[in-house]
Amino acid sequence: MDITALTSRRFLVPGLITLTVLATLPLYGSLYTVILITTILMYIILAVSWVIFSGPTGYMSLASAAFFGVGIYTAAVLMPNTGQLLPLPVVVAIAGLISGLLAVLVGALTLRLRGIYFAIFTFGLVEIIKQVLLYWEFEVTHTRGRFVVLVDNDTVFYIMLGIFVALMLTVYFIRRSKFGLALQSIGENEEAAAHTGINVTMVKVITFGISAIFMGAAGAIMATRWTYIDPYIAFNPLFSFMPVLMAIFGGMGQLYGPVIGAAIFAYLQETLQTTFPYYYMLIFGIVLVVAILYLPNGIVGLIQKLIQRWRKGGSAEQNANT
Amino acid sequence: MDLVTILDIAIGGLLMGGIYALLAMGLSLQYGVARVLNIAHGEFIMLGAFATYTLYTAFGINPLLTLAIVGPIIFIIGFLLHRTLFTRLRISSPSPGAFESRSLLATFGILFIIQNLALIGWGANLRAYSYLNFGVNLGGAIFTANRLVSLGFAIGIGLAFYIFLVRTRMGKAIRAAAQDPATASLMGVNINRVLAICFGLGAVMAGFAGTLLSMRVPINPAMGMNYTIIAIIVIVLGGLGSIPGSFIGGFILGIIGTVVTYIEPSLSLAAYYFIFMLLLLVRPKGILGK
Amino acid sequence: MTKKLLFGLITITLVALVAVPLCSSSCVPAPAPAKDSIVIGASRPLSGMNAMIGDAAFGPIMTMWEEEVNAAGGIYVADYGKKLPIEYLIYDDATDVGTMVRLTEKLILEDKVDILFSSCGTAFISAQAPIANKYGYVLLTAEGGATIMRDALYGLPYVFISLPFSDHYQLPVFADMLAAKGAKTAYIVSIADLHGVEYSGVAAIEFARVGIDLIASVSVPETQEDFSIIIKDAKAANPDVFCVFGYPPQVLPCTAESMALGFNPKCFIAGPGANFGFYQFTFIEALGPNCVDGVLCFAAANRATSPEFAELYDDLEAIVSPAMLDWWGHPYYAPLVQIWQEAIEETGTLDQDILRDYIATHHFDTILGDTYFEMSGEGGGGLLVKETHPGEIGQWQNGVVEIVGGGPWSNTVITADFIYPKPPWPTP
Repeated sequence: MDITALTSRRFLVPGLITLTVLATLPLYGSLYTVILITTILMYIILAVSWVIFSGPTGYMSLASAAFFGVGIYTAAVLMPNTGQLLPLPVVVAIAGLISGLLAVLVGALTLRLRGIYFAIFTFGLVEIIKQVLLYWEFEVTHTRGRFVVLVDNDTVFYIMLGIFVALMLTVYFIRRSKFGLALQSIGENEEAAAHTGINVTMVKVITFGISAIFMGAAGAIMATRWTYIDPYIAFNPLFSFMPVLMAIFGGMGQLYGPVIGAAIFAYLQETLQTTFPYYYMLIFGIVLVVAILYLPNGIVGLIQKLIQRWRKGGSAEQNANT
Repeated sequence: MDLVTILDIAIGGLLMGGIYALLAMGLSLQYGVARVLNIAHGEFIMLGAFATYTLYTAFGINPLLTLAIVGPIIFIIGFLLHRTLFTRLRISSPSPGAFESRSLLATFGILFIIQNLALIGWGANLRAYSYLNFGVNLGGAIFTANRLVSLGFAIGIGLAFYIFLVRTRMGKAIRAAAQDPATASLMGVNINRVLAICFGLGAVMAGFAGTLLSMRVPINPAMGMNYTIIAIIVIVLGGLGSIPGSFIGGFILGIIGTVVTYIEPSLSLAAYYFIFMLLLLVRPKGILGK
Repeated sequence: MTKKLLFGLITITLVALVAVPLCSSSCVPAPAPAKDSIVIGASRPLSGMNAMIGDAAFGPIMTMWEEEVNAAGGIYVADYGKKLPIEYLIYDDATDVGTMVRLTEKLILEDKVDILFSSCGTAFISAQAPIANKYGYVLLTAEGGATIMRDALYGLPYVFISLPFSDHYQLPVFADMLAAKGAKTAYIVSIADLHGVEYSGVAAIEFARVGIDLIASVSVPETQEDFSIIIKDAKAANPDVFCVFGYPPQVLPCTAESMALGFNPKCFIAGPGANFGFYQFTFIEALGPNCVDGVLCFAAANRATSPEFAELYDDLEAIVSPAMLDWWGHPYYAPLVQIWQEAIEETGTLDQDILRDYIATHHFDTILGDTYFEMSGEGGGGLLVKETHPGEIGQWQNGVVEIVGGGPWSNTVITADFIYPKPPWPTP
């Protein structure tokens, strides 16, 4: 099936509608809605960025927390509450670039590892950065945590939305480009792709870098919401696992899978933590297990099944009419 | 560096490695054979630790004897979990890759469920007891008795399991399944039953590790994750699917950890990961991987 | 064509599914209900690593206060002309700072709670303080305190820190106690985090002030389990004073290993960890009730400090395990609810600005005695003054924590003499 066609026109209209709904959110949504949607967007960005690389290539990266954390820490260093060094959009851009560069470096070094070996290597990366930072802060700078400037919630929201839109556009253009075709053929058969003259390593490393840019940018803007940052907060392994779970939960066959997966996952978590605080994990766990049992292809699979059934029902009706 | 220091590091490394080896053997059975990357592995460690704590403090049962109680209970839990959940997932998944990612998500769910049940049952509080906490002199180097006993049990369990693998019919079936599940089932092995037994045994080893750990480490319901990560690292180091590899990998990692702690404690975790990642780059399939 | 429509419809439905419940509660203005309770919101770690702290520390104080207040029919609030019972709205932050920040904003913006209670842990409080302050909610912090927070107080007028910490005034008092006994050398093990950096740093300064040589200051990662190498190194160095600045997961193994290796420094201080009941209970089965005698901890008060404290600990023991009694924290968590109650009753309002000014400017009569905050300049937050502290350093003696060290100020109650050197560990 041609992915290019799938992603292009079909999603243009709903995409624009969604974007308009979101862009005007601060006008009609409550203050807290803006905050919650910001968080959901953050998870969507993490999940989609993860899928950009891990989806087509089949590498399970657990480095998300490292790239996200580098973004968080960059913002913490550049925007202390004692005096912001650079304007926010610049910080977000710098954070994205640093994360992207890190990913290119790590990618060039490690992409020859496969499967679980790659996953664990990337997970180790998160821990190493955290430990080295701790050592540095402990022995050299004697820093005991950093306060970050407070930023208006609407500003945070719009920057997050901006990152999200940029991410979606990037995905769109990648899939329409030669680069996207190369990536897709690598996913289908790496050796065959190499034979057709594609620089396999280069394509993979660049994709890894691109996915990290958005994670880093999202981290930088989140730092201003969390207001206090130390290495434990910034490099939380949770953010390595969450994007993976959200993508599997949503279904990885389609681009909207991780988007919907992340949104439902984050919203469900929030609802359970506030409605059933003492049983949140229990219920969440049961939902996960049931979902995995009955939705083998994630939410996307469910949606596709519903469409099929609806279409069948529709055509049956048509037949009856004629 | 004098002889006592060398002994301190060498034996200290083995003591740490014993638990790692046990943890990793368990996960190796679950991931290497049953293909379930069990993120909830640490939760079985926690269950074992809490069971022992409760049996010891409330009923005065010797912590080492609790192994005989913890083992069967956790085996049944693990076995049933595989029979009801993972067997179904395995059959309904279109490819091994799909099964791996779906079972990963499912084990996350199990992690949440077990942790929450433990919170309800035991409360969030930190618990600890002291057992066999006295020094034993080995050639000038002193170690606590509980750690030495843990090491003895870890090696004993490892050996017993090895004999089981080599000598029994079930052991042979497990080895066949580890090599190639499809062929194994063609050869008349009831593959679902074998995999469920593997999963159950893997959980038991985690439970045993929990029992042994509880003798010297404070426990709480959220303790599991760190051990899961250690176990994953060890099986990767030892080579996927290689049970002797996990056993040896555990000891290697224990010694590395002890050496780096001796040299610079504050960098020990960083050094630990660094060495591990370096090893991985040099030998991408693990130490004993093929 | 139908395909396109279909996908459009589904996308819109999904967006609506998420968006509608989100704003339905807030988009439609609800009529102001008659006030029939004081709603107190808190984002607490009910699961995850910090659950073990939150559950034993401020948690039981909250429970006890709710029972006490509601049994009396509530707190009289003049603005409403009646007694209002209190009602908790507690969310689980799952020991994640990002979640805690978001839930705090939910409590403030969406639930519009009357009062906000503290989150748990120094890092969490540090992140919560600027948020509470931003929305003008008074925050009396519970489980956490640090020099970095005190420095941040200048821009946080709504934040009040209650728990004593390193240089306020635990370690200065500790150093003076050691100097009086003639201690000469010290060895520090600390956890590599905010707490460890702060305590080892302040201890280095204070030890230098009183002429104690620091032989070594070792930091360990939070996952460190095996302390035998470190304890052996410390034993070889033979320091007068051995400090473990970590949490129970470090403090307990360090103690066990010291016992097994026969490491008996003249002074052994460990905290937070040795200030809890479970410190003794861990070893009581094997070594008897005096198992940890001589160990020092950070502690403020015990049952002998005053009849009020005796009552507090009896009440606590009725609802939590004696293993969870805390001689450092509980003396400072209990006054928080007393301060709230007095402030609400005296001002007759739930208006945060009025309450803030009242708490900032008044002396309270709490379980600690005369209790008040020192404000950090114009427009700054408050720090519970050192004169309020009944003690700083405790020591296990005959199976209980006695208060052996405190500053030279009015509230200080020393319950026993400081024993130096500490008796050797008992043998089984």
